[in-house]
Amino acid sequence: MLVTWRYRPRKSIIQSFDPRAWIIFFGCYLASTLLFWDLRYLSFFLLLALIVLFTSGIRWKEIRKAMLFIGGFILFFSFLTFLTGRGGMELYAEEHVLRELKASFHILGWQPSLLISAEKTMFSISMLARVFSIAVMTILIPYSLNPALYGVTFRGLGLPDKIAYAMDLTMRFIPTFGRDFTLTMDAQRARGYELEKISGGLAAQVRKLAPLVVPVTIHAIAGSEDIIDAMDLRAFGIGPRTWLIKLTYKPRDYFLIGFGILLLVISIAFSLWGWGKFWVPAGLLALAGA
Amino acid sequence: MTDSSLRIENLSFRYRSRADLALRSISFEAAAGQVLLIAGASGCGKTTLIRCINGLIPNSYKGEIQGGIWVQGKPIQGLSLARISQMVGTVLQDPERQILGTRVINEVAFGLENLHLSREEILSRVDEALTRLNILHLKDRETFHLSGGEKQKVAIAGVLAMRPLVLLLDEPLASLDPASAQETLQMVRRLADDGMTVLMVEHRVEDVLNIHPETAMFLDEGEIRYYGPTAGLYRAVDYHRIKLPAPLILERAVKDPVPEPLTRQLEAAKAGIPNQTLVRFEGVRFGYEENQTVLAGINLEIRRGDIIAVLGPNGAGKTTLVKHAIGLLKPKAGRVLVDGRDTHQISVAEVAHTLGYVFQSPSHMLFAETVRAELAFGPTNLKHPPEEIEKDVREAIRIVHLEGFEENPPLALSFGQQKRVSIAAILAMRSRILVMDEPTAGQDYKNYMEFMDAILKLPGFEAVLFITHDIDLAVIYANRVILVNHGQVVRDGTPEEVLKDLAYLEENRLVPTSLLKTNLELYAHTRSFQRAEDLAHLGVLQNRSDRYQNSTLQ
Repeated sequence: MLVTWRYRPRKSIIQSFDPRAWIIFFGCYLASTLLFWDLRYLSFFLLLALIVLFTSGIRWKEIRKAMLFIGGFILFFSFLTFLTGRGGMELYAEEHVLRELKASFHILGWQPSLLISAEKTMFSISMLARVFSIAVMTILIPYSLNPALYGVTFRGLGLPDKIAYAMDLTMRFIPTFGRDFTLTMDAQRARGYELEKISGGLAAQVRKLAPLVVPVTIHAIAGSEDIIDAMDLRAFGIGPRTWLIKLTYKPRDYFLIGFGILLLVISIAFSLWGWGKFWVPAGLLALAGA
Repeated sequence: MTDSSLRIENLSFRYRSRADLALRSISFEAAAGQVLLIAGASGCGKTTLIRCINGLIPNSYKGEIQGGIWVQGKPIQGLSLARISQMVGTVLQDPERQILGTRVINEVAFGLENLHLSREEILSRVDEALTRLNILHLKDRETFHLSGGEKQKVAIAGVLAMRPLVLLLDEPLASLDPASAQETLQMVRRLADDGMTVLMVEHRVEDVLNIHPETAMFLDEGEIRYYGPTAGLYRAVDYHRIKLPAPLILERAVKDPVPEPLTRQLEAAKAGIPNQTLVRFEGVRFGYEENQTVLAGINLEIRRGDIIAVLGPNGAGKTTLVKHAIGLLKPKAGRVLVDGRDTHQISVAEVAHTLGYVFQSPSHMLFAETVRAELAFGPTNLKHPPEEIEKDVREAIRIVHLEGFEENPPLALSFGQQKRVSIAAILAMRSRILVMDEPTAGQDYKNYMEFMDAILKLPGFEAVLFITHDIDLAVIYANRVILVNHGQVVRDGTPEEVLKDLAYLEENRLVPTSLLKTNLELYAHTRSFQRAEDLAHLGVLQNRSDRYQNSTLQ
């Protein structure tokens, strides 16, 4: 059976809008954020995301796991970017060195070193802000959209019946997958399996994950077959479909959509004018002696 | 013949991937207002028959089909699934696998939405279906949070709302507690009385007999072995293979040789300190969410020599309770000691050396390429010596009757066989305590009786505990019964002590079976609960079997 996300009706900004309006706004927000690399512009988007987060009525306890996992992931990759400078090469042509750290030892004649430049530093900070804003806005969706409305929301956004329902199922498939994973993990632990103790080379390690990966995958496949049968047996897809729930826009929804579109148009205009590109504060450059 | 709502003539079917026929020349009819019970062991072709009638064959499952199916005189061959689904409604075995909607109202409306009816029409039909099944109060609930019995009713409502002429039920009782099963059955009877044609495939023949199906069929190897009035079914089937009401078994078993006696004493328990505590629950409280109580202060000891049956309604907390015994869940308050060690302090893998736990669903654990490798996985993790593993694996395969399947991939086996592999996988670990969550679900009667026998005869177990909805398993195998409800142990004692209070059982959603009643009636002579086959050979009974037969069949 498909599990749903931990949605609860709450008094919050996000839930006071029609889900379609929110998805449109979310799309505009996403596209707009991706147009910028300038930390000053990105701060605006981050602020927006934080406002939505703090008015969402979701308690820290409820999203702690998700936030820590995704937050940790983003921090880790931003740090990696900081170390390597990868991905930023297209944005800046020259680097101003703040400091160069050299290891006091050699490995096979190679001396590990780390070049800290103003550009690398700013790039990783900008990336952190960008990805974090998007992540926050995305995490909020499953907590705030009523699962009973998934299908009709996508239908209302203009997707065909079948695809809208498929999207509905897909949204619910993710938490279901999580539940199956936990059950499998439990079943294997009861057979003395310990994930923490997996050792050996990469290939051996991957092979030792089979007790988890195989049942979860098979379950997902068998589960989808059941769902297809259940849908077929109740005449799904024979023609146009009625959606029992009817969504109606309120004035505030039009306002939100308008705001979203305006945000996107302005963002596109800015980026066409060349504003909002990668920015390194003058102070930092001065520090580098430029 | 014309008034039959369902008529099947000479139906044969072979799946494209198989060499042999799944169904052979099946012919029968079912009339409006009647219940047809279809009994048979797993693999007998029941599910294939259902798929032929509801159109999944040949629309979703390909193969060669011969013969014809008519619903109200109209052939259904060549019709789309959607057309068939408006005439034939299907309720699958597990409501979990059928329910698509997140809320009850969405679930019941799903088929109607697909038929593109108007919103008003849909709403009125949803209300009608829910009212008919007495579950209108569930309308706005989330399907995920319903109990097993409620889910089954909602699944039936979703089919009923499409107003089918024929209702197919594929083992609808499999996941329900006895009271929910009875409620579902009563509901099905009412639907038939209102004019629907009902085909019910079910292992639990005894339960279905309570709603007096007009006709019955016994399928075996894809062929009809019996088809006629229900009373005739008893003579047509082997009571070792299909579970019949106890008085009927008594009557038949008298003529058979005396069965091998059952043991309710564990071999390993005879040595060592008697009644030594192996697992101890001290004031265990638990909830999955904050402010939720699933276990409300459990105090319990599992002692050497115990064969415990844990009974209780759906959602009582039985699985949550036993998951604490292996440390998969840790108490929010109180503690659980396994062999004197607190589960807070040891890993699940460490507990697994002492306590083997068989999960409810085999599909969550099977992964290996062969049955043999699957069985060796646990003991290898526990670092048993290879030669011992080989011996234990062989022994486990023998106990669950999977000889000849050693090199087959477990995932390609039938559900019943997979379940047995999952039990064998734990048996091969040679733990001292065995815990099983619904070991008999989805199993044939003969199969599960045999492996329960074999497990209890194994020399290694100091205590065995199983969760079950089948009171008869408690009657036959347990030497201690624990009744769980509302997160508490409400009764704990010998089967005779706990099960004699029929009114209390019913309060806890357990329905006394004919075997229990017969045993209680004869208790003065037997002084212990026994199988029907054993009771048949008590001298005191020989001249009374007629009376039993009459009293139960009325």
